[in-house]
Amino acid sequence: MSDKIGVLRFPGTNCDWDIYKAVEWSGAKPTFLWHQDTFNVEDYDGFVVPGGFSYGDYLRSGALAAHAPAMNSLRTAAEKGYPIFGVCNGFQILCEAGLLPGALLRNAGLRFIDQMIEIETQNSHKRFGLKLKKNQKSRMPIAHADGRYFVTDDELKKIQDNDQVYCTYVANPNGSAGNIAGVMNAQKNVVAMMPHPERAIYEWMGSSDGQLYFRN
Amino acid sequence: MTELQTKLKLYRLHKDEYAQIQKLLGRDPKGLEWALFSALWSEHCSYKSSKVHLKQLFSQSPRVLQSFGENAGIVDLGQGEKIAFKMESHNHPSFIEPYQGAATGVGGILRDIFTMGARPIALANYLCFGEPKANRMETLVDGVVRGIGGYGNCVGVPTITGQTHFHSSYNENILVNAMAVGYFGKADPICLSKAKGVGNLVVYVGAKTGRDGIHGASMASESFDDNSAAKRPTVQIGDPFFEKLLIEACLEVMKKDLVVAIQDMGAAGLTSSTFEMAEKGEVGIDMNLDQVPLRDSTLTPEDIMLSESQERMLLICDPAKLKPLQEVFERWGLDASVIGKVTQGPNVRLFWNMELITDINPTTIVSHAPQYQRPFEKYNSPYLKPQTPPQDTGSTLQTLETILKSEHGGSREWVYRQYDQRVGAATARDCSDPVGVVRLPESGRALGVVLGCRPHMMRLDPQFGGRDSILHPALQLAVMGFEPLAVTDCLNFGNPEKTETMTQFVAALDGMNSACRELQAPIISGNVSFYNETKSKNISPTPSTGLVGLRSKMENLPTTAFTAEGEDIYTLTWGECWAEGLLAEMNDKTPKAFLNFETQGFDQFVKELTKLGTSDLVSSARVVSKFGLLYALTRMSLSGMGARIESAQNRFVEPLYQIVVSTKNAPALEKEVQSWSLKTLKLQKIGQTQKNELVWADVKVKSEVLNQLYKKSWEAQFENLA
Amino acid sequence: MYKIGVRIMPRAEVLDTQGRAVGMTLKSKGFQVMDCKVGKFVILQIEGESPAHARAQATKISEDLLCNTLIETFQIEELP
Repeated sequence: MSDKIGVLRFPGTNCDWDIYKAVEWSGAKPTFLWHQDTFNVEDYDGFVVPGGFSYGDYLRSGALAAHAPAMNSLRTAAEKGYPIFGVCNGFQILCEAGLLPGALLRNAGLRFIDQMIEIETQNSHKRFGLKLKKNQKSRMPIAHADGRYFVTDDELKKIQDNDQVYCTYVANPNGSAGNIAGVMNAQKNVVAMMPHPERAIYEWMGSSDGQLYFRN
Repeated sequence: MTELQTKLKLYRLHKDEYAQIQKLLGRDPKGLEWALFSALWSEHCSYKSSKVHLKQLFSQSPRVLQSFGENAGIVDLGQGEKIAFKMESHNHPSFIEPYQGAATGVGGILRDIFTMGARPIALANYLCFGEPKANRMETLVDGVVRGIGGYGNCVGVPTITGQTHFHSSYNENILVNAMAVGYFGKADPICLSKAKGVGNLVVYVGAKTGRDGIHGASMASESFDDNSAAKRPTVQIGDPFFEKLLIEACLEVMKKDLVVAIQDMGAAGLTSSTFEMAEKGEVGIDMNLDQVPLRDSTLTPEDIMLSESQERMLLICDPAKLKPLQEVFERWGLDASVIGKVTQGPNVRLFWNMELITDINPTTIVSHAPQYQRPFEKYNSPYLKPQTPPQDTGSTLQTLETILKSEHGGSREWVYRQYDQRVGAATARDCSDPVGVVRLPESGRALGVVLGCRPHMMRLDPQFGGRDSILHPALQLAVMGFEPLAVTDCLNFGNPEKTETMTQFVAALDGMNSACRELQAPIISGNVSFYNETKSKNISPTPSTGLVGLRSKMENLPTTAFTAEGEDIYTLTWGECWAEGLLAEMNDKTPKAFLNFETQGFDQFVKELTKLGTSDLVSSARVVSKFGLLYALTRMSLSGMGARIESAQNRFVEPLYQIVVSTKNAPALEKEVQSWSLKTLKLQKIGQTQKNELVWADVKVKSEVLNQLYKKSWEAQFENLA
Repeated sequence: MYKIGVRIMPRAEVLDTQGRAVGMTLKSKGFQVMDCKVGKFVILQIEGESPAHARAQATKISEDLLCNTLIETFQIEELP
């Protein structure tokens, strides 16, 4: 039986098909969910918020998207413990919507960075990265201008103590607090990361390390 | 100045052109007609200085489904797949406001592609800047690169290849050329811009019309009236987010067959789209300018017709399909407003609050635009006498270091790191390689995109430089296993009213054309950018090109750097031609060269090379380019795998042409190349790959050190852009 | 020491892409917004002989760096 995965689409989402194909590759069944529509959470086994520039990233990255009707349904799903995975702009949206701690600020170098990087797993996730082992290294690209993870020192300690850090950068490219590349909520069902595992599925992409983030 | 002179100056029309208009109309032009003729008879829209030459271009092949005459050219890839592609310049706007100029350049070229019904899958850009220390240059480089990234990244199309050049001739006139490639799958229709069907509706979609770019053509005429401040051209602002919505909505209505014809509002906005669509379809159009959605209610009919506001499209729609069409646009948050209808014609009639203000035959204004045979001289290359290249002198290592530290030989990573090269999850090779590669969605084959034109070759010899703009990138495709299919170009030249410029133009076009014919790779789209001249100083002639190539599979794609230890390294050298090139320029020497190119068998060479590039015989490959063989080997040694070179060939002379390959299977490679029986081709084993170090003559340098030199040059050139 | 505020807005005739996007979202949430413009506000602390001198300094800074006068306008105000 294959998982049904809802993939959210905002105007300006541009990694929607990339995520769709990665979910399909993993053997699950993806369905697009339009930002203006609410949805019935019971129809799905999990959700992905893909990357892009929802609403052009105006005001703040992810800020306008966090107010879309579909996000109300996603909040319900989060409360009910459904697995939710955000990538890149999806991470920003989940932070703006209050489903994940912290915020994402302009990169320390102030410029957009597209680069192959290495990340290290800190904690696995029950659906998106079940087979990831602690300290396991993965290669995949980052592509963002607003990827500097920010939390207060107290909050950072709380996140670390509660094993909410999902993955960290081996060499911090953007000035993120605690080298954090990905983080989970306290209940560990909502998870998101700035690097793009869906761009590292096949060897011809330069790396296939992203497979483990989609395969259950 | 008389009233007529003032008018001619404002509308940038020549006295002879005015006489021609009078003859065509049988009277004086009036009202809005001035603005229409000004826009459509401008060099930019009418190609009046280049048309007689462009007509001779080799532009057809069995694969070509659409050549010049539409928004972009289309090539059939077989297996139900097709691509549309085109390259265009945005030089002047980028010099005025680099961020918005470059961004709107990307936006414009993307619209040319999705207007045809193709989904954009790749972007490329060709940039020429002045010397790094020239006035404003850091600001221009910074703004252009951020603008390209800001638009392309947001709209979600990967930038997969590009070139950045520097030379003093661009100090006051930079070049920003953008190319886009779009994809048609089996079920995707091709849409054209020919208006048809009397009674069909003219529908305006996308952004509202503002003051953007109005009177751009008459910038120099501030003293026209007291309100000149208000008439100053307003910088066009690009909104990639809006463009993304427009792409999705337009592709959806085309796929659902809700559109009869479609064209984007590019240069000269509503004027060119309306008149060209009517002219192509041999129909008339009635249009109510008061129904055009406005951002600024004070716009006059002339402003509306000339506005170059971005992210707007004009489409023709069957009235029965209007409702479903509007529903699609509404779903994407966009308006679709009916502003007119298709008529029997022949005239286009423009109304303003029910009043008929213009009534004119589109043929008069589109097809009867002037065509000039500008004076030029026959070009004779001074480099046809055979001679052997001069021996390298001095310390090889020192010269190599000088090259790597210069703006010409250093890394461009600072530039392309700001571009999203992988959105779409289909990129196999990014901007760090000469050939960008994306996977074709339905067949899984590989599409290669490469840019051409080496400005220093153009400065040496415009005719050979034109040839080189095709041959060099074609070899780069072939050695990676891509069959070169077709070409787009962006012909950046100086003032065509100068004999010198036209001589360069004709020579370059001739060189390009003969090369395209030899390779059977037609030129199917592009644009001409004349008047790249500031204070009477012309740019170096720069006919940039974009070539697309097809590879039957993704597997065995050679790398452009050495990857394995103990492989044999070979050079494949075509003929005897060479040039001293960039290094001579850096040393303020007049370059020497021998350019009498042997064409016999070259097409076969490219074909054989394409086959070799898909076999497993080649592990890594590179076409020797600027600075010659040693620089190519250096680039191949940056990743940690180096080479030991034993043979003593020229190190810095640029051979035309030479390819370096490394192989695990030397006997099979030799056998294969011998089987081609190409007399002009010389195969030579020059050394072996080895770990960590490049060794040749007095050069003995660790990969790591080379890499440091290569990467540090940018910071040294642009202190504030680190 | 003077505290000078610089209010930077897109020129009236120039398209404000950010304002349009924020406005669209506000409307879709049901707020009655006719138009929306988004700009920047910069606060400068300036050593100066007089308020007029400080304002002149701020104007120079704005023209030189803070504001792209091709596409933006700015207003200077003294802050308490």
